[in-house]
Amino acid sequence: MKAKRTKLEIIRDMLNILQRNRKVKITHLIYKANLSNNSIKPYLDDLLKNGLVEQYAEDDQKLFRITMKGNEFLMEFSKIKVFSESFGL
Amino acid sequence: MVITMEWTLVFGRFYGIDSFVELLTVIVCFVISFYSIRVYKLIKDKNYKFFSIAFLLLGISFLFKIFSNITFFNKFQVHEANFVLTIISHFRFVELINFFSFTFYKIFHIIGFLLLFLTLTKNEDKEKTWLFIYLSVIVVLFSIYFNFVFHLTLVFILIYLALYFYENYRKRENINSFLVFISFLIILTSHLFFIFSDVSNLFYFTGEVFLLIGFLCLLTNQVKLKRETKVLRRNK
Repeated sequence: MKAKRTKLEIIRDMLNILQRNRKVKITHLIYKANLSNNSIKPYLDDLLKNGLVEQYAEDDQKLFRITMKGNEFLMEFSKIKVFSESFGL
Repeated sequence: MVITMEWTLVFGRFYGIDSFVELLTVIVCFVISFYSIRVYKLIKDKNYKFFSIAFLLLGISFLFKIFSNITFFNKFQVHEANFVLTIISHFRFVELINFFSFTFYKIFHIIGFLLLFLTLTKNEDKEKTWLFIYLSVIVVLFSIYFNFVFHLTLVFILIYLALYFYENYRKRENINSFLVFISFLIILTSHLFFIFSDVSNLFYFTGEVFLLIGFLCLLTNQVKLKRETKVLRRNK
């Protein structure tokens, strides 16, 4: 059985999806990130609050895209993961 | 008869080796603190912020320890044909600086390790936190006059931290978590020796050696982390 993803890994997966696709709808993000309608909310709220993702409207649709800070996080991710795992953070 | 008078500045015990060890620990603490705050700025997870503050406090505490090691005294010698009379006088203000810097070292050190413990064990119970703070204030007050109380308290906090890092190592089973566990175990051993540092200088010296090895393990972990991520990025 595959191990449960950590918070950091879920954030990484969501950002990876947003990096690969320019326009992402919430339903697309839920499906691709393998999350439920309820479970995606706190992660997405965190990403928006921390400026890793931004929300915008196009043709009356709510869309999401990755920010510069989000890209920076993805580049740093492997280091952050090793760091947090070594200290059990 | 020849009379000589000289001012002497000493950087610590054992020709200042202890101050050198502490300078290295300051660097290691600041490196960990700096990286942790960078992570906090990216993901705004409070654990990383408190973790960073804990290592910052530990780094500052070691800076105070270096100050407390510095001694400045006046050596007055009278050389006669068959005897030498030496009078060493310490300056009152230097003694005061030593006392206050050593006290600040203890305060920052206990708060630093306590904050690390509370952050890692993810204690969100506010009443418990206040109890810890109250107890640490009592411990600090006692530690000012009884050195062994300070080290004994740290031994207890470090036992919990070492156990936490052991559990983390069992869960992750990688070399990085092992290095962190080993480093805290060695730092714990160093404080076991420091308990008896008032009895003999040998205990103090052995404690400093263990402290050096412990923080070198943490430094190795940070260096490995940087190298591993470079390899990971290249393989992507």
